[in-house]
Amino acid sequence: MFKKLIEESTGRSPWLFHINAGSCNGCDIELVSVLTPRYDAERLGFKLTGTPRHADIVVVTGPVTKQSLPRVLSAISQVPEPRCIVTMGSCPQSGNVFKGSYSVAGPLSKYVHVDVDVAGCAPKPEAVIDGLALAAKILKEKRGQM
Amino acid sequence: MSILNYHHFPIYSIMILFLGAFLTVVFGHKKALRNIFALLAVSVSLACMIALVKPVMLDGEIISYWMGGRGIAGGYAIGISLEVDALSLFFGLLISTAVFVSCVYSIQYMSHDDNPGQYYTLFLMLSGGVMGLVLTGDIFNMFIMVEILTFAAVALTAFRNKAFGALEAAFKYLVVGCIGSTCILTGVIMLYAQVHTLNFAQLSALIPGNLTPATKVAFALLFVGFSTKAFIVPFHPLAADAHGAAPASISVLISGVLTKSGIYGIIRLCYFLFQSMQLGAIQFMLVFIGSVSMFVCVTMALAQHDFKRLLAFHSISQIGYVLTAVGLCTAFGISAGLYHAMNHTLFKGLLFLAAGAVLHQTGTTDLGKLGGLSRRMPHTTVLFLIGAFSISGLPPFNGFASKWMVYQAVYQKAVESGNIGFLLVLIIALVTSVLTLASFVKVSQSVFFGQLPEEYSDVKEVGFGMRFAMGIFAVLCVITGLFPNLVTTYLTEPAARAVFSVGKYISAMGFDSTVADQAVSFAHAGVWAPVNWLLLLAVMLLAVTIVAVASRYDKVSRRTSETVDTKYQLFYGGEKNVYSQVGGGDLFWGFKHNWRHYFSFMHDLHSGVVNDYALWAVVALALAIVFLQIVL
Amino acid sequence: MTILMTALYDLGYILIFPGFLFCFLVGMLLCGIDRKLVARMQKRVGPPILQPMYDFFKLCGKETIVPAAASKTTFMAAPLIGLAALVVIQLFIPVFGFTAFSGVADIIVILYLLLIPAMSSMLGGAASGSPYAGVGLSREMVTVISCELPLVLVLLAVARTVGNAMGTGLCFSLSTIADFQAANGSLILKGSMIPAAIAMLMVIPGETGNHPFDAAEAETEICEGMLAEYSGAPLGVYKLNHAVKMLTLTSLFVALFLGGLGTGILPLDIIIMFLLCVALTAVSISFVHAVTARLKIEQIFKYYWTVVSGLALISLVLAWYGM
Repeated sequence: MFKKLIEESTGRSPWLFHINAGSCNGCDIELVSVLTPRYDAERLGFKLTGTPRHADIVVVTGPVTKQSLPRVLSAISQVPEPRCIVTMGSCPQSGNVFKGSYSVAGPLSKYVHVDVDVAGCAPKPEAVIDGLALAAKILKEKRGQM
Repeated sequence: MSILNYHHFPIYSIMILFLGAFLTVVFGHKKALRNIFALLAVSVSLACMIALVKPVMLDGEIISYWMGGRGIAGGYAIGISLEVDALSLFFGLLISTAVFVSCVYSIQYMSHDDNPGQYYTLFLMLSGGVMGLVLTGDIFNMFIMVEILTFAAVALTAFRNKAFGALEAAFKYLVVGCIGSTCILTGVIMLYAQVHTLNFAQLSALIPGNLTPATKVAFALLFVGFSTKAFIVPFHPLAADAHGAAPASISVLISGVLTKSGIYGIIRLCYFLFQSMQLGAIQFMLVFIGSVSMFVCVTMALAQHDFKRLLAFHSISQIGYVLTAVGLCTAFGISAGLYHAMNHTLFKGLLFLAAGAVLHQTGTTDLGKLGGLSRRMPHTTVLFLIGAFSISGLPPFNGFASKWMVYQAVYQKAVESGNIGFLLVLIIALVTSVLTLASFVKVSQSVFFGQLPEEYSDVKEVGFGMRFAMGIFAVLCVITGLFPNLVTTYLTEPAARAVFSVGKYISAMGFDSTVADQAVSFAHAGVWAPVNWLLLLAVMLLAVTIVAVASRYDKVSRRTSETVDTKYQLFYGGEKNVYSQVGGGDLFWGFKHNWRHYFSFMHDLHSGVVNDYALWAVVALALAIVFLQIVL
Repeated sequence: MTILMTALYDLGYILIFPGFLFCFLVGMLLCGIDRKLVARMQKRVGPPILQPMYDFFKLCGKETIVPAAASKTTFMAAPLIGLAALVVIQLFIPVFGFTAFSGVADIIVILYLLLIPAMSSMLGGAASGSPYAGVGLSREMVTVISCELPLVLVLLAVARTVGNAMGTGLCFSLSTIADFQAANGSLILKGSMIPAAIAMLMVIPGETGNHPFDAAEAETEICEGMLAEYSGAPLGVYKLNHAVKMLTLTSLFVALFLGGLGTGILPLDIIIMFLLCVALTAVSISFVHAVTARLKIEQIFKYYWTVVSGLALISLVLAWYGM
């Protein structure tokens, strides 16, 4: 029963940690807008945390530049299990307009397993919430398998 | 009288220390012999003191002892006497305990120093001096003891004279200490000129009826003299230098023993010789100096970045509590003050020994250079934390029990006298307490927790001897915190009663007394049952721990191999880990910023120039003379 | 038999009411209500009331990482000790006429007991080795210093008022204060106590570390401060500590100022107590949270030592002269 409780809670309380991997700041603003009164992702239990140790879901924005890559990986490795990785915007998935640049090391999925991709430049808040809710569901499944 | 009669014990406990000092000179080159002599001397001294607990504390006897059998002739005391009442014995017990533990600690701590032979000689001279000071019944004898202990302490301050600042500290101590001693000597002379006796009991009988301007000056001189020994404001800068330079085991004596001798002197002076504590002005003087010491020194401590200097300032801050409580002139206040004096000896001793352990293993006490030692010295850390919790007054340790009593006593005094000033004192005391906590959070963070610097990565735990000595103090800290009723019943209340039975003190030496003993009451309003609280906490902790363990709280991921895995590194925003310790220097910026004018004023005031400090002493003396001439 | 029964009762007090279980449930509820209220004040839907529970249980199921630079024992033990100390305080705070353990601690002791949870979180943070924690504990300590002075003044004012009225001059026992209020009406009805009550209301968010006095845990600038390296169950326990602290301080307020509202029937009293705690949370924590931005640490200090202490001091002086 206790396990069931934890599993249920895990789906209802996903905390986010946001990493900017060289983003143009468009997605970053959209992520914050998700928490504003209009969309209010907190009603689903989402909360932005300041450190990866507290996080369940890592949201990566930006095309993963060569400078940011080791930092992104180290921050992701510091997130305790179970964890979900969500890429936000088109950049971390494909490189978007930055594809082919000498300084871009992406896409992120070359280095870590990405659970959810939210496409768009920048994605609409509705899409972001949808992606995050999906990530929360995956998180719950991962917890169930632990 | 049999040689084992307990009437001889006071003189034994003094003589054995001086004898030990002599023997360690003779056998100073033989390490084992020297250590045995020193240990034996302090143990016998401690045993003598403990043996006196029953007759003096429980049965209320006052031991009067004329040396060489020369007593009273023609109504005047001609011999040198020892007079041990509960107050003397209380301080004697404190001193012998601190000396014993410090000696145990020294054996390992000083083994790497040059000339440990001389060290033990001076150590035992210092101990004997303080012991003599509190047990003697003769004011000139007291002066002699003050001289012995001052010079031994000066020499010990300069003992590590290769270290930076040791000679300077010793010189400062010498200058101001000598001013103090001179004050005492002059005071003694003036008293003798006025009433023709040097015996405490007879002085107590004669002075109150013969208050001339000269005796009032003598009061001021003696008061300032004892204040320099207690290092209360304005003599506090000396203590910081002396503690910073002296070996830790000596710091224990300076803070735990020397300052207590000053407090003892002040109690004897104000309550016995002049019996003037009923005067509101004298109460005001003591409480005022006590509160100022409390607050000024705790703020000075917040500005320090050296472990031992920080402890030194706290030491005086705590003495401020003692003086405040003693100055209230209520039996409960004195009981609280003495309790705090005892606790101060225990926890400050523990903290100094912990600082010594850090110094011994790392070679520095600079808060900016240390860090993370808890992983290398876990036992020292636990012992330090016990001391830190005690001094910051966290329940259930002893500092809380006595501070709590001090607060009650101050509040009671405020209510009884209707004087709102005492309320201010109470508020200062409570705020000082939380600032003390802040200071020790700073030490914990910058010495024992936080990050371990590269150069101390192979530091080892200190040896068993040193941990054992610290352990004694730690255990005493916990016991005296958990059973405040035992301590007050058997130690501080008899001593407080002794303070209010001056007549008994006088007649015990065979002089006529006209002073009636006062009825005393130890009633107080508050409730504090530490054992019950601890039981509740233990049950609660047990319950919480069981729940936690059942839910596999202790199942953690931890790095096992030495390979660098970013998962187990600290979160630096994704950057590589580099050594980055939030040091002690300016930890409480948010507090200090608002007090910046005060701190810069204090900074300018404490110039570190010995001329200034000597001037302070002279000014203090002048003020005391004028003040006492007016009010007495 | 009677000893056994007393022991059982005591165990019940410790574990169920007003001890562990009660603190856990009510603390979590208060925390959830606070979040909901703040959301509603900001025109958001807000998380469900049970959200803190979900957070807690989720954290219990997470991996606990102990950094290589941390001192493991202190790091792991600190949250538990803080929790135990907090719940024990709750045992001494009267629920109107009922006090679980009345002969153990007075208000001065409670003042000091409140330092233990703060101390445990500071030591836990220090033990993690993170520089963010170092900055966080520095700010936490300054916040504690800031709150200490007004809290002292408030407690002394109450002690003096009750003592005056009872003819003893001073009164330190919380249960006596509660009994006095049951007989003579709540202290807040006395004009001289109103500034102290307002000061106490302002102290509550500072002591619990809520917005705008959460400089110590500022997640946007110093990465949650002392909690930066905590994860999993220990972090959950810290979150629980925070929730229990809200209960402790609001119920302390009720005990000090609103003690006259009890009915004498315990179950009813508990409900009234709970409702009052919710109301106080709404006023002192949620409302302030919704309308203010985070203060800098030296502003916190200045605010508490001038405005709040000033208010409390007015009460103390009035009480001192018997008004």
